[in-house]
Amino acid sequence: MRSKRSVMWLAFLTVAALSPFAPPTVCAQDVIRFGVSTPLSGPAAPWGIPHKNATELIFDELNAQGGLAIGSKKYRLEVVAYDHKYVIAEGVATVNRLIAKDGVKYISVLGGSVVKAIEEPVNESRVLNLPLAYADGLVSPKNPLTFHAFPSPPETTAFWKWIKEKHPQIKRVATLSPNDDTGWWSIKVEAAYVQKLGYEVVAKEFFERTMTDFNPVLLRILAQKPDIISVLASPAGSVGLVIKQARELGFKGRFIHIGQIDTSVVANIAGKANVEGTWVHGYVQNPLPEKIKSWQARYTKKYGEWNATSIDFANPAFAFVAAVKKAQSLDQKKIAEALQTVEFENLWGMAHFGGKEYYGIGNQILYPMPFSEVRDGVANLVVQLAPPHN
Amino acid sequence: MTAALLLQSAIIGISIGSIYILMALGLTLMFGMMHIINFAHGAVYMLGAFVIYYVFFQGGAPYFAALVLAMVLLGAFGYLVERSVYRPIKGGIEPTLVALLALTTFLQAAGYPVFGQLDKHVPPVFAGTRNILGVMISVERLMIIPVAAVLVVGLYLFINRTRLGAAMRAIEQDKEAAALQGVNVHVVNGLAFAIGFALAAAAGALMAPIFKLDPMMGEQPLLKAFIIIILGGLGSIPGAILGGLMLGLIDSIVATALGAEPAFLLSFVFIIGLLLFRPSGLFGHA
Repeated sequence: MRSKRSVMWLAFLTVAALSPFAPPTVCAQDVIRFGVSTPLSGPAAPWGIPHKNATELIFDELNAQGGLAIGSKKYRLEVVAYDHKYVIAEGVATVNRLIAKDGVKYISVLGGSVVKAIEEPVNESRVLNLPLAYADGLVSPKNPLTFHAFPSPPETTAFWKWIKEKHPQIKRVATLSPNDDTGWWSIKVEAAYVQKLGYEVVAKEFFERTMTDFNPVLLRILAQKPDIISVLASPAGSVGLVIKQARELGFKGRFIHIGQIDTSVVANIAGKANVEGTWVHGYVQNPLPEKIKSWQARYTKKYGEWNATSIDFANPAFAFVAAVKKAQSLDQKKIAEALQTVEFENLWGMAHFGGKEYYGIGNQILYPMPFSEVRDGVANLVVQLAPPHN
Repeated sequence: MTAALLLQSAIIGISIGSIYILMALGLTLMFGMMHIINFAHGAVYMLGAFVIYYVFFQGGAPYFAALVLAMVLLGAFGYLVERSVYRPIKGGIEPTLVALLALTTFLQAAGYPVFGQLDKHVPPVFAGTRNILGVMISVERLMIIPVAAVLVVGLYLFINRTRLGAAMRAIEQDKEAAALQGVNVHVVNGLAFAIGFALAAAAGALMAPIFKLDPMMGEQPLLKAFIIIILGGLGSIPGAILGGLMLGLIDSIVATALGAEPAFLLSFVFIIGLLLFRPSGLFGHA
């Protein structure tokens, strides 16, 4: 008995001792690490959590099929995610960590103010970035490796044209946005567009992202008697409080967010009845095409709870996979070249990167954009619009 | 700015000022007696709000019972903090500051895994709005004023009409002399911690149905409370009350008239200006 045990120990020790000399496994060697820096806690978490989850789900499904093929080699995709809480300093720290410590060459960062703050390290390190972020000058020739993977205000303002046609009684517009790069640029673009359409912009207000008491700023806005309040670039938690407090102060008009928000989070805070009639871009609960229903089933199976924000926030992963397949290379520059020409399927249809005539570089994602109206607490698709530029 | 708008923003200012007062009272009480700044005050405010979330919203208990429970639980927590943090380090000001800063960081960091990553909400307790002299005010905000007033008057009576309150005042004036007169300084300090924490919990509990809940929600009210106790005079209870009302009104009226950013700046300019003429604050002792 004792000798049998000794033999087993000897065998175990031999294997343990030899293991460092064994050839590395395929999995350990052939991994593509994709960094995600996004708010996983705090008011912007309703954006960050589906961003990370959607990326993971797409990569997991591809890994289950054997991985991403480059030539004769197959690579496993892995997400390295960090929470930046929508705080600029945390965003910079997490991206630096992704680049310097984790050695990641491809990232997706959420949040305009964060993405602007990391422009320099991203460009210097030649990291490919597929952000979900609104900020002035983000899509520009000075950021050749940055490909914005979500429709921006220059695209989504197209919805105002639809409003002008379908709801001509709306004339006076007020805006309320975060007091940072994201808010300033979003409102600049939106206000210029609606004024061109003939609307009167009666108030332009900004708020700190930590603000919870919107009463004073809403009193200023409501004194101007707007028909509609745009809360572009504001996170769902803040929008919920804005709507709740505006209704308490007697505002009867509509709200619009042509960025993206989870209206169920908004309704939880503001109350279902208060959110009625709100227009949003990029968040649809009904009706969902078959392709999205299948995505919903897979997402719910993996994460237990459905999140409609994941539909559009899956874009960075879809774009990355399509570009690597086309480039047949892991070199960031070659993948970037492929991104400028590749056509790929996202959950709403065919997508590509373009917008050179507007941005000076074709690095903005373009696809038929979904717009919804909240009815009985549900975000119902009202129209899908093509972007105004190609 | 019309008269109606001024009235509306003044009522909102008094309502928010009432919360500031509750936050500042606990801070100033603890500073007056023990010369410590309680950095954990914001985290206690957050915990008070989460007691409402779990006991009132999730558990179905009556709102005011949940509010009292929040005050009792966090008051007991305050007493425990005095016993386990303040007393063992023998009341040293700097070590206590660092220990309370560590406590607040721990409570905030623990908040995400315990309460979840997404913001929480509590449904309205007093739904609807009231028309007061032609302006709309939410009932929720109006209700803060009498509840805060009851707590402030209760604290005033406790400090000025009870033996324990007299012991607190005695410690504030001269700790050693109070001890020589037979005052149990440890027990009274523990009581001050308990009252300070309970008031912060009450402020959080009152705000829970109005705002959203997250582990960092106490940071802004803590900052405001610091401003108030400097404005009112460190350790002064009347100063905290007046300072809270002034800051609430500045926040509301100036933000309505000029915007949120100028209001934020103006509150600091106002304090700097005041401290130039009264370095010890409105009611502070030189």
